[in-house]
Parts: sequence; structure tokens; C-alpha cells
Amino acid sequence: MPVSAPALSEAIAAIVGREHALHDPSGLAPHAVDGLPPRWWASPGDIEQLGRLLTLASMEGLAVTPRGSGAALDLGNPPRRLDLVLDCRRLDRVLEYVPEDLVASVQAGASLASLEARLGQHRQQLALDPIGGASRTLGGVLATNASGPLRFRYGTARDLLLGVRFVQADGTVTWGGAKVVKSVTGYEVPKLMVGALGTLGVIGEVTLRLHPVPPASGGWLFGFETETSAAGFVTETLASTLQPDRLSLLNDVALRRAAQPVSRLAVAVSVSSVPEAVASHGESLEKLARQHGVRSITSGEGLWQALAPALDGPLALRLACEIGRLLPWLGQLEARVARLGGRIAALGEAGNGVLRAAVLEPPLERLAGEVVAPLREELGAEGGSLVVERAPLGLKKELDVWGSMSPGQLDIMRRLKHEFDPAGILNPGRFVGGI
Amino acid sequence: MRKSATEDRARRLGAFDLQDPPSLEGILKCVHCGICLPQCPTYRVLGEEMDSPRGRIYLMRAAAEGRIELSGTLARHLDLCLGCRACETACPSGVPFGQLIEATRGQLNRRQVRAPQTDRALLGFLLGLFPHPYRMRVLLLGLRLYQRSGLQALVRGLGLLAPFRRLRAMEALLPRVPAVRTTLPEVTPAQAPARGRAALLIGCVQRHFFPEVNAHTARLLAAAGYEVFAPRSQPCCGALHLHAGRIEEFRSMARAVMNSLDPDVDVVVSNAAGCGSALKEYGHWLPDPRAEAFSQKVRDVSEVLADCELPLRELPVTATYHDPCHLAHGQKVRAQPRALLRRIPGLTLVELPESELCCGSAGVYNLLEPEVAAELARLKVERIRETGARVVATGNPGCIMQIRERCRVERLDVEVVHPVELLGRALRDG
Amino acid sequence: MELSRAFLDELTRIVGARGVVTSTEGRLTYECDMHTFHKGMPDVVALPETADQTAAIVRLCRRERVPVVPRGSGTGLIGGAMAPSGGVMVGMNRMNRILELDLPNRCATVQPGLINLWLSHATREHGYFFAPDPSSQMVSSIGGNASTNAGGPHCLKYGITVNHVLGLQVVTGAGELLWLGGKVQERPGYDLTALVVGAEGTLALVTAVLVRLTHLPQGVETVLASFASIEDASETVSAIIAEGIIPAALEMLDEAVIRAIEEGIGAGYPKGAAAVLLIELDGPHEEIAVQSRRVVEICRVHRGLEVRVARDDAERALLWKGRKEAAGAVGRLTPNFLLQDAVVPRSKLPRIMREVLAIGARHRLLIANVFHAGDGNLHPLICYDERVEGELERAKQANEELLQACIALGGSVTGEHGVGVDKAQNLLLQFAEADLNFMARLRRVFDPDGIMNPGKLLPSHPACGEGFRPRRPTLPDGAWV
Repeated sequence: MPVSAPALSEAIAAIVGREHALHDPSGLAPHAVDGLPPRWWASPGDIEQLGRLLTLASMEGLAVTPRGSGAALDLGNPPRRLDLVLDCRRLDRVLEYVPEDLVASVQAGASLASLEARLGQHRQQLALDPIGGASRTLGGVLATNASGPLRFRYGTARDLLLGVRFVQADGTVTWGGAKVVKSVTGYEVPKLMVGALGTLGVIGEVTLRLHPVPPASGGWLFGFETETSAAGFVTETLASTLQPDRLSLLNDVALRRAAQPVSRLAVAVSVSSVPEAVASHGESLEKLARQHGVRSITSGEGLWQALAPALDGPLALRLACEIGRLLPWLGQLEARVARLGGRIAALGEAGNGVLRAAVLEPPLERLAGEVVAPLREELGAEGGSLVVERAPLGLKKELDVWGSMSPGQLDIMRRLKHEFDPAGILNPGRFVGGI
Repeated sequence: MRKSATEDRARRLGAFDLQDPPSLEGILKCVHCGICLPQCPTYRVLGEEMDSPRGRIYLMRAAAEGRIELSGTLARHLDLCLGCRACETACPSGVPFGQLIEATRGQLNRRQVRAPQTDRALLGFLLGLFPHPYRMRVLLLGLRLYQRSGLQALVRGLGLLAPFRRLRAMEALLPRVPAVRTTLPEVTPAQAPARGRAALLIGCVQRHFFPEVNAHTARLLAAAGYEVFAPRSQPCCGALHLHAGRIEEFRSMARAVMNSLDPDVDVVVSNAAGCGSALKEYGHWLPDPRAEAFSQKVRDVSEVLADCELPLRELPVTATYHDPCHLAHGQKVRAQPRALLRRIPGLTLVELPESELCCGSAGVYNLLEPEVAAELARLKVERIRETGARVVATGNPGCIMQIRERCRVERLDVEVVHPVELLGRALRDG
Repeated sequence: MELSRAFLDELTRIVGARGVVTSTEGRLTYECDMHTFHKGMPDVVALPETADQTAAIVRLCRRERVPVVPRGSGTGLIGGAMAPSGGVMVGMNRMNRILELDLPNRCATVQPGLINLWLSHATREHGYFFAPDPSSQMVSSIGGNASTNAGGPHCLKYGITVNHVLGLQVVTGAGELLWLGGKVQERPGYDLTALVVGAEGTLALVTAVLVRLTHLPQGVETVLASFASIEDASETVSAIIAEGIIPAALEMLDEAVIRAIEEGIGAGYPKGAAAVLLIELDGPHEEIAVQSRRVVEICRVHRGLEVRVARDDAERALLWKGRKEAAGAVGRLTPNFLLQDAVVPRSKLPRIMREVLAIGARHRLLIANVFHAGDGNLHPLICYDERVEGELERAKQANEELLQACIALGGSVTGEHGVGVDKAQNLLLQFAEADLNFMARLRRVFDPDGIMNPGKLLPSHPACGEGFRPRRPTLPDGAWV
């Protein structure tokens, strides 16, 4: 039974409070997603309100997009429909934190920076460091499976998320996982929510595994002039017993944008441990780098905090491949974009086979056909992928930002979506395969 | 107070009667953890639970609890067990698997519960052959003729035995019978300052097929200071019968062995792992107190020599050592043979990966179950090949025959000998 | 259930005569795993050797509505590898090879029946190992580890099995044979691989596992400290973690367990100590040197009686052998025991240990303890003799109370052994109806006909039963007229 818009506005305001709801079109423009403004914006104050909002949405068939800081709001295909934006930033409390347990339960709207500040008081950390993501919310980071260079040592959200309280499409508040580091009770529901873009449920609270902050750390930037020398250094570092926490790759464009000493390719390494081990690692790494013809060695002090500008821009790609293929694929990407008159600033995780690139002076008209499509096909043959994380709307309408997926896996994904969101109200059309 | 056999047969432990039943306490020690599975050769080859120690114990337990009867199927799974006791070594709970299976086999035998797939005729033939000196002499004569007349070459060359898998297996295994029948003197005097008196078990297979092993053994013991007594009249130790579950026959053979050897020796020496293991268990199976006293004196030759000074020459060779099951698992003797080999100057001992995995010989198992035995032999020789050794040393005649044959099939040019042979070659005379 | 001749014939056609076990005696040996408490004989056992055979078996069973129960090495502790509803038990143990070692990508593709420790042995010479090291690792299979999301002492530092599975080839309950995940560490889409890990065969059967390999650490040091009380040992654990040191492993053993181990293999544990901590540090040489000094100091400060560092690999290997065979060794102390697996937050360790002692006293039973103190994962062994009147009942009571106590302290009903049938009802203590309902529906997506390991993992409860429909949400206030 269709309900009038004013009645819905009233219902929403009744749930979250008038001051936390918007229905006036002029106020809603800033909350547009890929140019499509919502009809309502609401900011719930707790998970129970979030639940009631979704119940309402499901009753009325309203298409919903959750948001945190908005930094990755445009990840995904343009929404098929958008009625209600759920702004989760008021859910920002730390619910439970017992330092001795190295576990924290936090609401999804808390920012990484605020959590870092709290944990830092006990010399602990959440080892999740998406570049430039300090102001991003936990929910956003997890829903988009964002990660940074620390993943080399500590893993990604899949390895750090223990439990999740989320809201299903019909508004049911549901718990999955556990509050302790070891528990095998039922299915790994939290892992299902990671990277799912909210399409199976909206994350409300998370329980996270923490790590101690080691007593000392050191960082180095090794500049190389050729792919071969950089690759040799990376391969040997990976094969050694050295235990860095970050092992990143930057190209010349990225280095310049991040105001770092420029070389053709640089490998940035950080090590955290007791001071003696940090010093010893530094020596070993330097020796190894010299064996591979390093051109410059500079301190990596403050490096990772300075990298955000490297990846700034309206067009961002994410490439994933086998570890040993990262440098060749970087070369391929640079070459293809260069042929169209553009450049890329690239930051890769050498030990994980992941690369993020900001495409500069992008030749939009031909990008889809001459860069994305052919690279996807070649990558696909190796099990890799190329995701367009951010792009001008025109380009997004031309291609699928995610790329294709094996039909078998896609079928199961569709079945899951159909089971948990049969009416398709959670971010409809934005995910892989148009889910 | 031992009851009569008749009374025992009337009373029950589930499907078992009470005449030499498997020990319920032993069975109950099993906590079903499965740690024995990867160590079990038949589980490795056949890959099914009922042919693993855990599965076999589970069946014994089910029988003891009356959940199942003693059946041909049950018998078959127990027949497939090699009796290698690798499971005992692996077991954290101390389950006495060897004794449990021997007792269960005893019951199956006595009550004539048969597995149709097992060649009982052949087993019976073999058990009747080895312990009987006259029959062995006849066999040897025939074999010597067969081997030296050119008939063997003909048979092998034409593959005449191909359709008769067990006969072919047997034919392949038997070593070349020595041209001249040598006999070990019944007394070998001590060379070095006297250390003691040793009785030597000369074995039925060893004395006929590997007389040089006995010769080296006696020589080494003498060099170590032992006066060695090797009465020719000593009969078979009964190991094959014990492992086959013919308990009563085993008991009488054990008594005969003890009667044939001078009780007044310091040590009873065995150079065949299977025999030594059985001798050490006389005390468990025979109620007679002298059996326990006898068992206490039994040592493998490597255990005896490990404590002795031996003047050894250089013997430059790369060797590896295969643990016979009844020495490693049955007698827990592993370090001594290795230590002895390392003492030989110039000898490089390379560790054999999975050295404790049965080679498939297991008494006469390789004749009864040639397919499983062949697979185990194949695995063993694969490991030997990986070591690059030129010599494989192992203290059991069955293992020597099995490994030698497989090396021949796989064209691996490796010498397979008893450790005492290497020590004997290195021993300085005078 | 009675399986038709036609069904058995078709099954035999799929796996061959050697791949089918039909005798009563044979099937009897498959009626339980290490948890002999729960037994369920399958109607037939199939032992496939390829993924295609496995898929064909599942499809046949789906068509005929026959339950499928997967089994690895049968070393589970929760009544997982047993067939309470009969059906076909699919033993994966014959599929036990390493298919590929890909060192540049730090991964390996293995068949599910491969024994965990054998993988690490094979990769050791190349400088890598497979990090999840459950105590059963010398016999448990990788497929089994994946299906139960196995832990182990070293998961304190390295994480549990799900953190080391990059991909799985599976046969879903719908009969689809496909690969999930892969060597490339990131992909768009839902993390289906992680879902199947720990799903205990209820979503899919695993026919191949792509595992992450971990580089061997530069150095290892193992500290053994004995204490006059479990209290002192527990406090030491807290102090070590509070120091910011995460050892590679941090295990506690109590007096009863030590007695059992020393009676058995004699691993060098100090007899007579009330509790012993086995603390292993691994990583860069300088790091473990500093940490080891600190750990030894902390142990001494907390009234450690004897604190020593293992001198060499042999001593270290023996200590670990003792630890890993502890559960087996306890068989020497008692005819029967219930091996429990529960978790509390690390900070609650001293309290739960006091509670365990109290429960033991209350029910007049010996409760021996060996566990992963570093992550609050307890393994109390409740000892009893089933031949003595009432002891089994008291043991079950104690078991129940123990689990309740763990939940009350914010823990979990199972840390690493899994749910199986043993803990299925206990999930009701930890999850609400809505949570279980979600999981039940997830299960149906993969197994629409409910043939995959029925009766396992989820409790029999209206929320999980057949024909359940999602709860109709309540109407929000004042939504409309």
C-alpha cells in the first residue's frame, strides 16, 4: 500500500528525531550518490534506530544506501534507485575495550583516527591503514574492504574482524561471529559482510582484533631505475626471514605527488619491533638493496602519512594480480595510459599483489575501450582483476566498475542476495554483476 | 589360579571366549585419537579406516562388547595387518596393539573363523616348512638345483610364473642358496678378555639363507669378548606362529627353544629382528617363570655390541639404515645399530626418510599379500634411492630379501646387507 | 536408512568397487571420530579419489535425498565425522597429494586428505610452513582443518585456518563443482571462501584447498616455566600480554596433564608443578632475544619456580610432542574423559580457572587442564569412569556448568574444535533466534535440499527448522494510517 512521501518523512523523523532527518531537496543535494540525490537522508543515533529505519524501508520498498565519511561513497556502479541515505556517523562510540584482551567492540560510524587515538593510549592499534583513510568510518572501511600497506604483516579486514552486529534488509538486528579472538561458532558471517558494500546488511557494530604497537619502528625508501632491479629486491626480501610490516611500491609520478625523492620505481619498507631488530633489519635491507643496484636510499620517516596526495584524483583504479606479476602489470598499465596521453600515479603492495593507481590527465573517451577492457581480459586470464574505484559519472555509465566474475561464483552471490534482500533495497545495482 | 581351557572357552568377553582373549584393559586404553593412522602401512596403502590400527582396535572392542561377532570380514582386516607395531610407537596412550592382535588372531584361529580372501593353505604350508629342519633341507636342495641349473633363469626369463602371483612372489624373494653348506661351530671362543657367555639364536631362515650373517655375528661377539654358544639343535623361535595367532603351537616351540639353549648364559643374542622380538615376549605368553627370566636376557646383536670395544678398519662407503619393524617398534632398538655403523671409519651414514615404515616383508606377509607388500617395497626403495646411498643396512633377513628384490626390479644398484656384515668386513683380525 | 541396490550400484560406478565400503564391520569403524561419545553409522562409505567423483557423489545424493557426511582423518572432537541420519559418508583421505607448490606466490594447492604436518614438512626445506598447527596435526587433514577452521598453539600469533586459506575447490550441496577465491589476494564480490571455512561440511564438500604459506621465522626460542599455582601462571600470562609481547604460542598445562605426559613419553616437563607455561617466541633474532629476556623476568616476578629456555631443536621438539599428545596421554590417568573446548576473553583467565577448580570439586571429579592460555582457549579434560555409577552424569553436569561459566564471562562455547553435534544446542546460549535464523537461511542457499551433513552445526530449533519464514517485522509507530 503506497504511502505518501510526507507520511514517510514523518515516520523517518519520528525514528531518528527531526534534527537528524532531511527531506527537503535543497538539503539533499550534498548527499547525492553518482549524481543521484536521495529523497531522504537520516542519521540514526543507535543500532536500534538503524533497525527501525530499515524495517520502514523494507516495508515501503525504499532503496537504501548507507554511508560513513563518504570518502568511498562512489565506489560501485551508479545506483539503480536511491531513496534513503543512511548516515551512520552518529554511531561512533567505543562500546567495549579491554586492553588486555586486545579486542575492541566499536560502533560502525567511529572513524579510524578516533579509534587510533583511543587505542594509542594503551600502545595498541587496529592494523588497518587505508591510504588517506584516517577520517573514514569503520563501517565504510569494512564494507568496501579497504586496506593499506600494513596488510602485508597484519592482513586485511578478513583477518581483523571478529564479530559484527548488522541490520538485515528487513530491519532485523543480527549478530554474527564472536567477541573473542578464537571462536568457531557457526558461519563466518562477519567475513561475508566485508567488501559487500552493504548489499546483504548494514554494519552497525564491529568487534575487532587489535595488535600491540611495537616499541620502535623504522622506514626506508629504496629508489631503483629499472623494473628488474626493483623486482629483484622485492623477490629477495620476500624470500628472506626479514619481517617488515609494509612493503610498498611507488612509481615516479606517485613519488613526485607525495613530495618524496623521485626515482623511476621505489620500494618503501617499514619495520616495527624492538630497536635492535629495527636497526638490524635496516642494515640487512640496505645490503640487499645495494646488491640489486639501488640508486638512492632515503629515510622513510613520515612517508606513509604523506602518501595520500599520490592517489588523489577523480579517476582511481585498483588492480589485483599474483605477487610476482605486480611490476609487469604496473608497466602495462603505465604504457597503455601513456599511449592515450595520460599518466598514472601508482602505489602497490608488493607482497600482496595489489596496486592502486590514480589516472592523471585521463583521456576519458578511450579509457574504457583501450585500457580497462583489454587489461581486464588479460588479467582475467591470470585470475586477476581491475576495479574502477572512482571515476567521472560519464565513464561509470560506460562500463561496469567491477569487471566480470566466474558464473558459478556469481550465481551463488545472486542467491545470497536474493535470500537476504529479496526486494533489492540495499544499494541495488551497485555491486558486482549488478547485484 | 589358571582355569582350565575348557572353562575359559565357556566364559565370555563379548564375542571372545576367555582362553587367551585380547586384554580388555589394553583395548580400552585407545582414546580413538587416530595418531596411529599415518604410521600404519596398510592405512597408507589401502586408505580405509578398518585397515588402520584404530579401526582394528575398534572392531576388537566391538567384538569384546558383543556388538559384533567374530566374522570372516573381521578376520580379513586383521589378516591384512602386518604386525609391524608402528602404531605402538605412535600411540600416546600405550595401547599394546601387537599383543591384542596376536590374541585376537589366536581366537579366530582356534575357533576357525576364516577370511575367504586369505590364503590359509599357503600360510599353513609356510608355517609347517620353516620350523622343520628336514623339510628345509629338502627345500634347499631343490632350490640350489633350481637356481644353479639354469632353470631359474629360464623360468624368470619366460615369465612362467606370471599367473601364479604368490608363487612368483616367493620365487622372486628367495636369495641364492650358498653353493657350499657352511655350518657355524657350536662353540666360538672369546677373543678379547672374557666379557661373558652368549647364546646365539641361529634362526631358521638366517641359518640356511644367510649363514654369513651368523658367522659375522659369532665373530664379532667373540671379538667383543663373548664365548658364543650356537647349538645346532635349537629349533625355530616360533615368531611366525605367534604373529599368525597359533598361540599354543608357539608356546610349545618357545619351550623347545628355551630347552635347547644353556640357561646359564649372560645374554641370549638374536640377529633377526622378528625372532628377537618374539623371544623378548616369551615372558608375556608363557606362565612359566623361567620364560620371563629368559626374556630378560634376550638382546639384539646391536644392543650387545654397542657397549663393546671393536677394532675396526676403514670401510669407505655411503650407507643408509632401514629400521626393521620388530627391532624399532617391537624392541625399541633404534640408536644402537646406527651408532655401530657410525663407528666404522670412513662410513658415511645418511638418514633414511621414513626409515621406520615397514618394507612389506613382515614375516611371510609378502608371500600372502603380495600387492600390499609390493607397494610398501616400492615406497621404501623410493626413499632409499633419494638418499644416494650405495649400501642399505638392516638387521632382519626378511627385510633384506624384500628390499633386495625390489631394488632388482627397479634396477637400483644398491647392496642390501645386515649391519653385522659391514662390521664384520671392517673388523680387524687378530 | 535403507539404500537401494540401484543407488549402491551407481555409487560403485562412480568410485569403483575399491571405493565403497558396505560391510557392517567396515561401516562400524566409521561411526565416530575422536569424539566417541556421539556415534552414527553411515549406510555406506564412499572413498573418492578425484573432485569429479566427489561431485558425482553429491549430485547422486541430492537426487535421491540421501545425507552426505564428509570425513577427513576422523580426528574431530565434536561429533562431526559421524552420520546420525545415516547416508553416505564421504571419506576424503585418499585424496592426499600436494598438487602444486607455488613459492613465489607463497601458496600451495593441496588435496583435502593431505595431513597437515606433511604439508609443513614438504615446504620446510624451501623455508615455508603452514601456520595452523592443531594438536592433531600429525594426523588431521587440511580439508578437515579448513572445514572446522582449526586453531592450534601457534594461532596466537599467526591466526587460525581461515586466515590461511586463499581459495577452495568445493562441491556445494546444490551439486556445483567450482573454485572459490584464488591466488590473487583480492577480488570483487562476497568472500565465499571464508564462508565455507568452518562450515563443517554443511555448505559444501572441499575437494582442494589453496593455502597460504608462511615464511619460517628467523629464530625460535622456547621458554618453560613452572609455578606453584594455576593462579600464578594465569597472572603471568596476563603480564606477558600487557607487556605488548604476543608470543608465537603460550600454552598452559596443569599438574595432572604433566603427570600423564611424563608417564608416557617423558617429554621433560617438571613433575610436581601445579602449572607450567610453555612460551614460544619466534621472529627476528634480536626481537626474540629481547622478548625472551623480558618473558623470563616476568615469569620470575610472578613466582616462577623454575624457568628455563630449551637448549636445542631436539629439546624443543620433545616439549611440543608432549604438549600435542597430551589429550592422548590423559588416557593413562583415567578410563574416560570429556575433552572440552571453550573460550573466555584473555583477561578473564584467572577467574575461569578458579571456576573450573570449583566445578571439579563440586562434582568430585578430576579436571585436568591443557590449553592455549594466550588466547583464553581452554581445554579442560573432565575425567570420569563410566563404569562407576553416576560419574558420567556428574561429568556431563560439570561440562554444562563449565560452558555456562565461559559464556557468562563473555566467551564462546567453542574456540577451535567446532560445533558438530556436540555444541549445536549450545549455540542457543550465544546467539539469538535472529542470528541462528540468518545462518540457517545462508545454509539453504548452498544446500537447498538439506543433504549436507544434516544435524550438524546449527541447533534443532524452530528458527532453523524446515519451512521457517523470516519473522514479520513489527510496524513502526505512527508510520501510516
